[in-house]
Amino acid sequence: MADLTEEGVLQRVRDELEAIKVPGAENAELDTTWEELDVDSLDLVELIKALEDEYQIVISDDELKPVETVGDAVKLTLKLAGTTA
Amino acid sequence: MRDVVVTGRGVVSPVGNEPDAFFDALAAGQSGIVPADDGGAAEAPASGFDPETWQTPRDVRKTDRYGQFAISAGLQAWHEAGLADAGVDPERVGIIFGTGIGGMTTIEATYGEFFEGGPREVSPHFITMMMSNAAAGLLAIQLGVYGPSWSVSSACATGAHAIGDALRMIQFGDADVAVAGSSEATLCGLPDAAFGRMGALSKEGVSRPFDERRDGFVMGEGAGALILEAEEHAVARGAEIIGRVVGFGASSDAFHMAQPDKTGRGAAAAMRNALRSAGAEPTDVAYINAHGTSTPFNDAIESRAIVEVFNGHAPAVSSTKGQIGHLLGAAGAVEAVATITALQRGVLPPTGGLEQPDPECEIDHVLEAREVPGAKLALSNSFGFGGQNASVAFAAK
Repeated sequence: MADLTEEGVLQRVRDELEAIKVPGAENAELDTTWEELDVDSLDLVELIKALEDEYQIVISDDELKPVETVGDAVKLTLKLAGTTA
Repeated sequence: MRDVVVTGRGVVSPVGNEPDAFFDALAAGQSGIVPADDGGAAEAPASGFDPETWQTPRDVRKTDRYGQFAISAGLQAWHEAGLADAGVDPERVGIIFGTGIGGMTTIEATYGEFFEGGPREVSPHFITMMMSNAAAGLLAIQLGVYGPSWSVSSACATGAHAIGDALRMIQFGDADVAVAGSSEATLCGLPDAAFGRMGALSKEGVSRPFDERRDGFVMGEGAGALILEAEEHAVARGAEIIGRVVGFGASSDAFHMAQPDKTGRGAAAAMRNALRSAGAEPTDVAYINAHGTSTPFNDAIESRAIVEVFNGHAPAVSSTKGQIGHLLGAAGAVEAVATITALQRGVLPPTGGLEQPDPECEIDHVLEAREVPGAKLALSNSFGFGGQNASVAFAAK
């Protein structure tokens, strides 16, 4: 499992965005929005599955609704994985 | 009805991924068929195809190989027609792009992931990758055009039906420009096994249409595309005219799902309907690009139908499948590119692999590239499983 810290999860998100070949993935920061990355709902399904697999969590559709930035996904992952760092 | 011209061509094939290189290879008798490995069947892959020439890596990942081929062929044709910067009204551009099967390699891979790992392993892009209208949708997005678009599917006759639909679209004024074509990418385990189990594939791994030793087809992959355009529209924008689409004929065998009607009735009807639609006589036809699959049934029955329809007149006949194998749903479109280019150049491509013509195939075989200056009219035949037949009539400009 990748580091369960804000920086660790952020890097995991960048890695997955890179795996699905999103341009600019390596420069994604916590305040980068999906819109800026041109990540659509189908891309997000792939990203969320990767986070669920990596951190052994389950992200519900309701929890996903307000997730609009990379930081939102990182914070949600940390919360569900039991860390509030 | 409006006259329809061809202003662009595109191709992805086992012998070239650009129309002139493709035709040069056909005329030179080059083969794209590679021998079997690991106990599989011989096949004709579109080797050298690089999807990233036409799409971003991100889009390539979300596009089945059949869609990647379609985008390449469609964009090649679009650029050759000079449409990239022609300022045509995007609402007057339509797309008819077919496939026999759809995203087969995606379907096969995803089934494996599904059975192994369950629903979570299924890609959210699966549906939009494998659906048979994906190619038409992808092209509309990539070209930014808003006219009518859909897919047609009639197995190995798909490409010819797509061109027929596009011809009607332009003739009836539903669009001024149409991207017409078809694509197939099925070189994977399941189709290989299934066609093999049917006895349709050549056990010897040789494609030799009309040869008395023929024993089945060799599967190939690729895509073909033509830009069809109302003549008045093409002339007004100063486009270079490559040739014309002057007729389209279709028919049903209503006989058997995989075997052609032994009398050749369906094949003959398609050719007759194409001639009627073109307002042409059999004696006008200089060349037939045959369906010629290299299966025992098709080639004998198609030959008989040609003899019957042409009744004493003997147009030159060749099958492109001797060199590139059978591209299934893409065959009609790729062979349309060969046919229109043959008329443009006044050169007929030969039937690869044909050395000992079957006495049951008594037609004028093109054994080596043949010059036919001034040839005016050609038919391109395609017959599909399900008994669906089509013949497209092309004319020199």
